[in-house]
Amino acid sequence: MIKRVLCLLFCLACAGFASDELSVKYPLKPHHEHLALGCADCHENQGDEPSKFKAIGDKGCLSCHKSKKLLAKRLEFMDVLKANPHNSVHDGPTLYCDECHNEHKESTNMCLECHEHEVKEWMGVTP
Amino acid sequence: MKKLALIILVAGFCGFLLVLPTHYALEKTSDDKFCAVCHEMAAMSASYAKDTHSGANKSGVSAKCVDCHLPHTSLARYVLQKAKNGIVEGYIHFFGDPDSIDWVKNLKNREHYVFDSGCLSCHTKVLENELLPTKAKQMHAHYKELLGTQKEIKCASCHVGVGHNFELRNELEYQKPTYKIYEKKMKELRGE
Repeated sequence: MIKRVLCLLFCLACAGFASDELSVKYPLKPHHEHLALGCADCHENQGDEPSKFKAIGDKGCLSCHKSKKLLAKRLEFMDVLKANPHNSVHDGPTLYCDECHNEHKESTNMCLECHEHEVKEWMGVTP
Repeated sequence: MKKLALIILVAGFCGFLLVLPTHYALEKTSDDKFCAVCHEMAAMSASYAKDTHSGANKSGVSAKCVDCHLPHTSLARYVLQKAKNGIVEGYIHFFGDPDSIDWVKNLKNREHYVFDSGCLSCHTKVLENELLPTKAKQMHAHYKELLGTQKEIKCASCHVGVGHNFELRNELEYQKPTYKIYEKKMKELRGE
């Protein structure tokens, strides 16, 4: 009986440690963490080893976020200054998601490459 | 015996007279036209009008403000929340400063003012609907798995733009831009 209890506690401790380790090495963005998403929710059919997971690409992102046009629509107010990053005057709603957005590391803002001064007036930090 | 029957009859009739106007009042105070009298919600109404939930669909089916923004777990909770909202919003409307409210920031609190019981009262079998896309079914299973836990999520956690055609932020920004650089252009569009 004591052995069973100790075994259970050990398993729980290992599971907790593993979970914490993963969350440190592969942190989620706050809004995704809030949803308590697991690895497999995005990395579908990529096995069980996180270190071997590949980027999910546009298809993976849009399996939940629906479409680039819809994402652009949500920020349509920015079109009045042609500052909508999801519907830019240069590319329209065609950019790859990971040109700005990264899940497990800091996101960037491609607009900053040229519009260094304007971007901070147009929008906030890339989620 | 006759006296008892008479008492029951009169009591029933009085009860009916009490319930009828209450029901009527609840019914008449549940749409966006009434809500807009005190609630500061021009942007909400504008975006809702474009959404399928307002009846902008082939079937003509529509939802009212209260269908999503009040709890439907019990009549008591519904009435209490409705009264609370009315008092708070009414006070702000008449005595507060509604222009100071940051509605865009408040969008993040959607889990508090959109009730799952409202969604599920109409979408009764959505969590078991096999006709949905695979990802939707997976996420609904995830939602069910988290029910009752500390990490519980709500319908509105994922369905960000539902009920407002994904345009609520646009309407809010149109009326009160978060970034000053948009103000001039928005004023022009508002015809000011």
